[in-house]
Amino acid sequence: MQLAHALTAVIRRNITMMKRYLFNTVSALVSIYIVFCLAFFGLKAFAAVSASGALDGTFEGAIVGFFVWTLAIFGYSSASWDLINEAQTGTLEQLYLSPAGFKWICTFSLVVDFLVNMVAAVAFLFAMMATTGRWLNLDVVSIAPLIIVTVLGAYGTGFALGGLALVFKRIQAFFQVIQFAFVGCLVVPSRIPWAKLLPLTTGNALIYRVMAEGKRLWELPAADVLAALAVGVAYLAAGLAIFSACERAAKARGLLGHY
Amino acid sequence: MERRDGLALEVDRLEKVFRERGAREVRAVDGISFRVAPGEVVGLLGPNGAGKTTTIKCILGLVQPTSGRVTIFGRDLASHYPGILSQVSAVLEGSRNLYWRMTVWENIEFFTGIHGLPRRQHLRYFDHLVERFGLAEKRNVEVRKLSQGMKQKTAVVCALAKRTPLVFLDEPTLGLDVETSYELRETLKDLAREENRTVVLSSHDMDVVQDVCQRVIIMAAGRVVADDSIEHLMGLFRTKAYRLALRGPAPDELEASLAARFPGLELQRSAYLTQIRLRLPEPDDIYTLMDLLRDAGATIEGLSQEEPDLEKVFLEIVRKERENQCNSHTP
Repeated sequence: MQLAHALTAVIRRNITMMKRYLFNTVSALVSIYIVFCLAFFGLKAFAAVSASGALDGTFEGAIVGFFVWTLAIFGYSSASWDLINEAQTGTLEQLYLSPAGFKWICTFSLVVDFLVNMVAAVAFLFAMMATTGRWLNLDVVSIAPLIIVTVLGAYGTGFALGGLALVFKRIQAFFQVIQFAFVGCLVVPSRIPWAKLLPLTTGNALIYRVMAEGKRLWELPAADVLAALAVGVAYLAAGLAIFSACERAAKARGLLGHY
Repeated sequence: MERRDGLALEVDRLEKVFRERGAREVRAVDGISFRVAPGEVVGLLGPNGAGKTTTIKCILGLVQPTSGRVTIFGRDLASHYPGILSQVSAVLEGSRNLYWRMTVWENIEFFTGIHGLPRRQHLRYFDHLVERFGLAEKRNVEVRKLSQGMKQKTAVVCALAKRTPLVFLDEPTLGLDVETSYELRETLKDLAREENRTVVLSSHDMDVVQDVCQRVIIMAAGRVVADDSIEHLMGLFRTKAYRLALRGPAPDELEASLAARFPGLELQRSAYLTQIRLRLPEPDDIYTLMDLLRDAGATIEGLSQEEPDLEKVFLEIVRKERENQCNSHTP
């Protein structure tokens, strides 16, 4: 019951804060949309002068890539930036005073954010499809598990950096670098063997095959699906391990309340 | 509030040493021990850097102690963490413990919710606290729009609303003006008494501690240097000094006779008043003083015994501790 009350409290808080910071949330989506439009219209202009048709399928790839990147950024931000904000506002120590345990409060917050972010990301997806006129296959049964598997890596990265920020404090500049690193993970061709070890890469390719090629989940190569799952879980586990170690260090050095 | 048998809090040889690479180690808490009975209101005093906040954070599990043991209502903190926190709430950094973009009421609901309190069952109590602390009209106002005093009160309400038997208040009156500080401490005093809560209050504000607490633990350089009831500490430092006001400027002969009988006398004259400070160590000295004043034809405007206040007691204890430390380091 204690956990149920904590979950309810977190849901209320996250929704309240999303409403209070609505301008911020909408601005983030709008800025990603603007970047998408720049990329799309740039590609379109290039395709217009290219007679080979080599860019066919690239627009679909761009839509899928931006969609996955948006979800990854939201997930990564939840696990890292939100933690830093709590430390900076001074509420982090109060969260650690919950008898449910900080890990549960954090987990609830991430799950709630993920669900809300999905709504925003899907709205963004429709905006991209409407802008490009390219309507992709939205097989929820196939896409949903792949999305979860794919963003695990982003959450793991977020946890790792959030933990490091607890100890080293001002590393926000590095956070920006990671966002661009995610872009790199999405543009690397997944057929390159070592690319399978990167977060987001294999998952993005699988989501593309579902959304752009109309494949169903069970029609995808099992090895690739399992590889995406294994990589996602590995990054998440590594991120959580780094976070736990950093949390212990922060408590040993009395840094939880510092910012 | 349910009364519990046994101790509310037991701190046993708590130690916290901070070690940074390349720097010397800092013993923020140096093997301190103390106990707090259920229902006690204890003040934790000390100069800056004494280790008060580190001690509180070690007790709350926010800082990992180097060694020592903390027991809350008979249960070991380390073994029962974080579940044991259901017995504890705290105000740590006042208004920084709140979400400024949420209202007073939303903050109360959130922090009590993550504490596991079912909202509907405690709404009346939340209302009661909001009224008690003068926040009723501001309950639906975002915290960022409140004055500093109201933010501080909101932080205290959020801690008290969790209905825990043990409450830590670290500088609850920090940044408040005199009137708001007085209001807050009166409310705290009443609540602690009515609800039989155990309160550990850390503050630089001596008036708060003297007014609200029954007992005080004084820390300096990571150690407990005094742990006693306020009444007893004040009694130890009572100096039997008196202040006397006489009408008009006192004649020189009176000053000479008083100075001869009461060494160390201090006398200040003005056109309308003579103010005298003197010690009357023996019980009969007051009669001797009255005889001298009557013989000189002096008119007494006022007479009072000098009461030590906690600030003087604290300063004297800390001064002596520092002297002892210097002496122990001197070869």
